[in-house]
Amino acid sequence: MTELSVSTTAAGHVPQVPLPEAQPKVTVRNLNFYYGEHHALKNINLTLGTNRVTAFIGPSGCGKSTLLRIFNRMYDLYPGQRAVGQLMLDQTNILDPKLDLNLLRARVGMVFQKPTPFPMTIYENIAFGIRLYEKISKSEMDDRVEKALRGGALWNEVKDKLNASGLSLSGGQQQRLCIARTVAVRPEVILFDEPCSALDPISTAKVEELIQELSEDYTIAIVTHNMQQAARVSDKTAFMYLGELIEFDDTNKIFTSPSDRRTQDYITGRFG
Amino acid sequence: MADMAVQSDVMEAAGPYDRAKALSAFKLGDLTFYWITRISAISVLLILGGIILSLIVGAWPAMKEYGFAFLWTQRWAPSADPPVLGALGPIYGTLITSVIAMLIAIPVGIGIAVFLTELCPQMLRRPIGIAIELLAGIPSIIYGMWGFFVLGPFLANTFQPFMIRIFEGVPVLGAVFAGPPSYLSLFNAALILAIMVLPFITAISVDVFKTVPPVLKEAAYGMGCTTWEVVRSVVIPYTRVGVIGGIMLALGRALGETMAVTFIIGNSFRISSSIFAPGTTISAAIASEFAESDGLHQSGLILLGLLLFVLTFFVLAGARLMLMRLETKAGK
Repeated sequence: MTELSVSTTAAGHVPQVPLPEAQPKVTVRNLNFYYGEHHALKNINLTLGTNRVTAFIGPSGCGKSTLLRIFNRMYDLYPGQRAVGQLMLDQTNILDPKLDLNLLRARVGMVFQKPTPFPMTIYENIAFGIRLYEKISKSEMDDRVEKALRGGALWNEVKDKLNASGLSLSGGQQQRLCIARTVAVRPEVILFDEPCSALDPISTAKVEELIQELSEDYTIAIVTHNMQQAARVSDKTAFMYLGELIEFDDTNKIFTSPSDRRTQDYITGRFG
Repeated sequence: MADMAVQSDVMEAAGPYDRAKALSAFKLGDLTFYWITRISAISVLLILGGIILSLIVGAWPAMKEYGFAFLWTQRWAPSADPPVLGALGPIYGTLITSVIAMLIAIPVGIGIAVFLTELCPQMLRRPIGIAIELLAGIPSIIYGMWGFFVLGPFLANTFQPFMIRIFEGVPVLGAVFAGPPSYLSLFNAALILAIMVLPFITAISVDVFKTVPPVLKEAAYGMGCTTWEVVRSVVIPYTRVGVIGGIMLALGRALGETMAVTFIIGNSFRISSSIFAPGTTISAAIASEFAESDGLHQSGLILLGLLLFVLTFFVLAGARLMLMRLETKAGK
C-alpha cells in the first residue's frame, strides 16, 4: 500500500510539464568500475544536467554510491580500485591520472551519509574550506561564513554560538553544517550520498528543501534509499541494479510509467 | 510442635532446589570479589604514599641542612667538610635533555605515525611497524653502550664540529653550540633519549590515528585537502588527547631514564651554556653516586629523587592543564 502512495506523492510533487533539457554538466560514457577483481559498475552511460537534481536509486550494493565516488575520484584514496571509461566534467576529463585532485574536489563537493563536522568550531568548519583556496581578510571571511551558513539554512540557529564545537550540534544541524561547508567552497557539482539516512523526519524535510534551493545554483547528484525522497527532490532519476544502469529518465516518468519491468518492480516494492 | 514446624520448613528449603542457599554462595563470591578489587585499588594508594613518605624521611637531614638553597646551588662537593650539595646542575640537565629529546622525538614520532597510517604502501607497513616495536623492546643499557661506543664518537667527530663551526660568533646560538666536541654531552644523552621515547610516541599515535573515522577523512579530502591538510586539521585535532597522552608517557620516560643517560652524559655537575658540554641528570647523579654515599650525601641524593618525583608530577599536571585549555579552545 505504501508503494502506491509513493507513486501518487511523486506524481503530486513533480511538475507535470517536463523540464527543458539542461546543458550537460557531467557526462558519463561507457564507465566501468572495479574493486580489485570485482566488476562493480558495468557500462554506465548518463549525463547530469546543469542545475538539475539527479537521483540515484536502487537496492543496496547496486553501485549507486560507487558511481558517486567516481565523480570526485574519492576511490583514489584506496588502492586496488579503478575506473575505466570516459567521465567528463564540462571539458575536464575526471579520470585523467594527471588531474589535480584537490582542484577537482573543489569543483565537485560531497556530503556524506553521516554528518562529518570537523573537530573544530562551527565558524572554523566553514572557514577551513574557504582558506584552502582563498586568502581573504577576517571581515570578508566573516561575511563568507555567514553567507555559507545562510546557504545551509543554519545561520539563525548558530549565529550566537559560532565558537562552539561543530560536534555540539544536533545530527540534522551537523548535516546542514556539512552542506554549508561544501557550499562555502563554491563548487559546481554537489554529490549527496544518502544525506538524510541518519536524520529524523523534520531534519530530513529541511535538508530536502535545501537541496531544492541549491539546485538553482549547483548541479546535484543524490543517492538515496528513500524513493519518496527521490520523487520529491529530483528532476531526473536513475535506477541501478547489480552494477548496471537499468533506466534513466525524468523523475515523474520513472515513478509513474517506468519502461523497464525491474524498475517497476523496485519502485512498487517487489524487491529491494 | 513449633520446633518441628520450623524444622520441616528448613527441610523443605534445603531440598535440591534451594535458591536462597545458592544465592548466598554467589553473594559470598561477589563480596570476596568486591574486596579483592578494592584492596588492590587501595594498595596502589598505600604504596604511593609509602614511597613518598620514605623519600621524605630519607631526604629530611638534607632538607634541614640546605633548605631551599638546595634548589639553586650549583656546587656539588660531597667530600668537602661539611659536604656542599646543590641540585641546580642535575635539575638543569634533566630538563634540558628531556626538552631536546622531545623536540626531536615529537615531530619524528608523529611523522612516522602519519606515514604509517596515511601514506605508507601496504607492503612496508608491517616491517616498519615491527621495527618500531622492536626499538621499544631494546633494554636501556644497550642504548647506553651503543651511545658510548658508536653514537658519541660519531657525533663528536662529525656533527658537533659542524654545528660549532656554523654558529661560531653568532650571539646566543654561538654559546649554545660552543666547543669543544665531546663524546659525553647533554646533546648525546638527549639524542639517545629521543630514540628511546620515539616508539612510545609513534605507537600511540598510530593507534589513535586509526580511530579517525574514514568518512571524516574522506570529507576533508572531498573538500580538496591535501594529505598534509587532512592530517593537520582533522586527524591530529581529532586525536589530540591520545597523542598528548603518548607524548606525556614519553616525557615521563625521558625525565626518569637512568642507565643509558648515565653512560653518556659525562656526570658533570657544572652547568655550561653549551649543549655539547658534559652534564648530569637527577637520575644519572643518583645512579652513579648512591652506592658509595652515606650520611648527608646519601640524604642529598634521596632529596634529588624526591625532586624528580615532584618534577614529574608537575609535568603531568601541566599536561592536564594544557589539555583542558585545548578543549575549551576547540569549543567543547
